[in-house]
Amino acid sequence: MSIIQQHTSASLSESWRTINIDALTEDSSLNFDTSSLHPPLPETSESEVRQLANQVRQLLRGGDTEGALRGCLESPVYNGNDLAKEAHLQTVIEVLQSIKASEMTPMLQRIYSTPGGSECLDALMKYLYKGMGASSAQGGGSAPRTPTRVTPQQTGFSQAGGRPHAANESTGAAMSVLLSWHEKVVEVAGLGCIGRTMTDWRKV
Amino acid sequence: MAAPEVHHLFHHPIADHAFTADHKTLAVARENTVELYGKVGNAFKLQDELKAHDKTVTSVDIAPNSGRIVSCSQVTDRNAFVWEPTPEGYKPTLVLLRINRAATFVRWAPSETKFAVGSGDRAIAVCYFEDENNWWVSKHLKKPIRSTVTTVAWHPNSVLLAAGSADAHARVFSSFIKGVDPKPAPGVWGERLPFNTVCGEYLNNSAGWVHSVAFSPSGDALAFAAHDSSITVVYPSGPDQPPKAIISINTQLLPFMSLIWNGEAEIIAAGYDCEAFRFKGGAQGWQLSGTLESKGRPGLGDAREESALNMFRQMDLKGKVKDDTQLKTVHQNTITTLRAYETSGESVSKFSTSGVDGRVVIWHT
Repeated sequence: MSIIQQHTSASLSESWRTINIDALTEDSSLNFDTSSLHPPLPETSESEVRQLANQVRQLLRGGDTEGALRGCLESPVYNGNDLAKEAHLQTVIEVLQSIKASEMTPMLQRIYSTPGGSECLDALMKYLYKGMGASSAQGGGSAPRTPTRVTPQQTGFSQAGGRPHAANESTGAAMSVLLSWHEKVVEVAGLGCIGRTMTDWRKV
Repeated sequence: MAAPEVHHLFHHPIADHAFTADHKTLAVARENTVELYGKVGNAFKLQDELKAHDKTVTSVDIAPNSGRIVSCSQVTDRNAFVWEPTPEGYKPTLVLLRINRAATFVRWAPSETKFAVGSGDRAIAVCYFEDENNWWVSKHLKKPIRSTVTTVAWHPNSVLLAAGSADAHARVFSSFIKGVDPKPAPGVWGERLPFNTVCGEYLNNSAGWVHSVAFSPSGDALAFAAHDSSITVVYPSGPDQPPKAIISINTQLLPFMSLIWNGEAEIIAAGYDCEAFRFKGGAQGWQLSGTLESKGRPGLGDAREESALNMFRQMDLKGKVKDDTQLKTVHQNTITTLRAYETSGESVSKFSTSGVDGRVVIWHT
């Protein structure tokens, strides 16, 4: 009798269902150290990123767009704080916006055919996706796109995020630049390049 | 190049396939059963069904000399069966793997006295027969695997075992079992090799989860294919030393699911692009040299499409000129397994592929 009562009070509430048992197992995948999935990466500081941005701008002013693009893709910011990463993204987008549509494919083909070129285009693809993510988040308003933690009480689907319908013209223009670059990069580096953007743990 | 020999067995994915040494019997893993097809004339006809697993069979292998079949399957079942050929048909023996997740992949050692089963339990079960108990026993390779083992491959010495895992690493272990294996000769992978010695642990930059691993015919190089559309070849230089070379080829293609060596200077790989590709190289470098699919191959409805009547019929029915529901490749879906079929010395003269489209195809290299 008493056993049944204990049981009811403890198990009638459904909160036990949401206990994350994986977090309690020491060698579970939840406690997986993802830093083991990439080689050690040198840290890049914000000042180094700014310095590189200045060099890249100089190349742009000098008309060497290919050198500018190569320059920022050969030193992607894999290990750095958010400000450094964001600054480098802006540099890459600035370079991408200053290259004419007719020059895109030949330039990508030249870069791809050089040693280390495939790696450069993989880095470019990472920045394209990051750029698209960043501009859609700006347009989507202040609502968080994904709730950081789903509470046990939440059952339905939330309407958080949504389409960036209120995107202003400049983000729209930036997006169209990124999309046309995306198309051209896939033409040159293939679908394998998109796959690598997803598997690679060296995030930009 | 002679045309490939295509056997369309059924409209269902083939998880794995294996031929007997005489090429007269073909075993395929289809849903919960292992189906045995016998060669009748030029075709394969269903001969026998091995039913013992109660979940999807994930892998099957046939030992070339003894003719024993080993199969393994997913959760709740989690066991392997060794099927002994007898005059009355195949007799199953249960092998307790002692794992709590699905068994993903199984291969006989070249010595045929052991087999290795990869699993989702972050472990590899190395199984061998214990005469005194008349029972298959399993020993686990666990450290330092941190995720599902997706594939395994044996070194020619039957002691070293390569394993690919969803933690993006390809590893080489020793699976030395006292009393079963003769003491292995020291080599590039190590000198003393007690059980669970980690002889190498490799990861490439873009870190895709590993789909396939293979030792070169000499056993002195290791190749692996990962989900980042790459293949990576490792040349070790000796125990406790960094490898001589690790060469990674990032391709423009979709990922490869399976690869084999053809001699020391060629690798054949196939996967999500539904066709097999050839890589050539050595310790100085590797490159993609082309597809094994012969272009302009007749058949598969190409001829039918050229008739004017059919063209207008297509336009009328579907509103388009070309019937684009068929791929230009022999396989019509992902290739999941690639195996050497006929070898002469170290080189492979024919290999077989099977995939999600229910076809088994035998190719000339």
